[in-house]
Amino acid sequence: MDILLVMCVGVLIGNRFFPEKYKKINEKLQVVCTMLLIFCMGVTLGSREHFLQELGTLGWTSFLFFLFPAGGSLLLVYGLTRKFMPLEKEKKKKEPV
Amino acid sequence: MVLLAIIALAAGILCGLTDFGSIITDVLVENRDIILYLLMFLVGISIGMHRGIVKKIREYNIRILIIPAGIVVGSIAGGLVCAALTGFPVNESAAVASGLGWYSLAGITIGNLAGAQMGSVAFLSNLMREIFSFFMIPWISRHLNDYSCIAPAGATSEDTTLPMMMKYTNEETVVLSVINGVICSALVPVLISFCL
Repeated sequence: MDILLVMCVGVLIGNRFFPEKYKKINEKLQVVCTMLLIFCMGVTLGSREHFLQELGTLGWTSFLFFLFPAGGSLLLVYGLTRKFMPLEKEKKKKEPV
Repeated sequence: MVLLAIIALAAGILCGLTDFGSIITDVLVENRDIILYLLMFLVGISIGMHRGIVKKIREYNIRILIIPAGIVVGSIAGGLVCAALTGFPVNESAAVASGLGWYSLAGITIGNLAGAQMGSVAFLSNLMREIFSFFMIPWISRHLNDYSCIAPAGATSEDTTLPMMMKYTNEETVVLSVINGVICSALVPVLISFCL
């Protein structure tokens, strides 16, 4: 929940006070933060005891457990959003000219 | 951005394996929450700069639950397919799939409740989900639709995968992505306990 609060403060500042000219800097800082987070994820992973052995023995099984749940949710969300939440461009396509 | 992310991940794994620069990496890892908060603050600014977004989100009403519902049902269905393919028990497979990308929680919880092997599978598979969804977002936004980018990200759609959403979708999808992440994160412990 803290994370939402922090984001809401950001939304407020972006909506009321943040100058347009710093938009690009904001975007670049987001990339830097993301890369640092991914780097931290890698460090956590690499420093995990028996990481390489685990990857060798359970790698393929884990891959299946990533592939099917992620694929299943992707297919279902795609189907549901196409039916119930058409995007503006899709709505326009359906409207007669 | 994808290339940068691959380099960052590979460099991180290498540092973790070799203890290279451990003083700096330790500080970074210990303070990763601060980095995440800063990222969320910056993403919030981007959303705030986009006028009329709140009104647009309000128009969705109850349909806002479609995405998290699709993610949960699709993931558990995928877990059941994995049970059939691997021979693991159905409830444990469903529990692993219920991690929805939250690898730290899923790994520890399932490890405690279903044994070390399932805990490791839960950790690795959900970590793969977070990493691969990061790299899948550009492809999905190009070939399917913006909302579908949220699906593989699951519970991580409110943090690490969010900047990718910002870059390859639009502000509306980003807000939906945050809402989805909050709902999915709340559901993960409930679903895991329910399955085991």
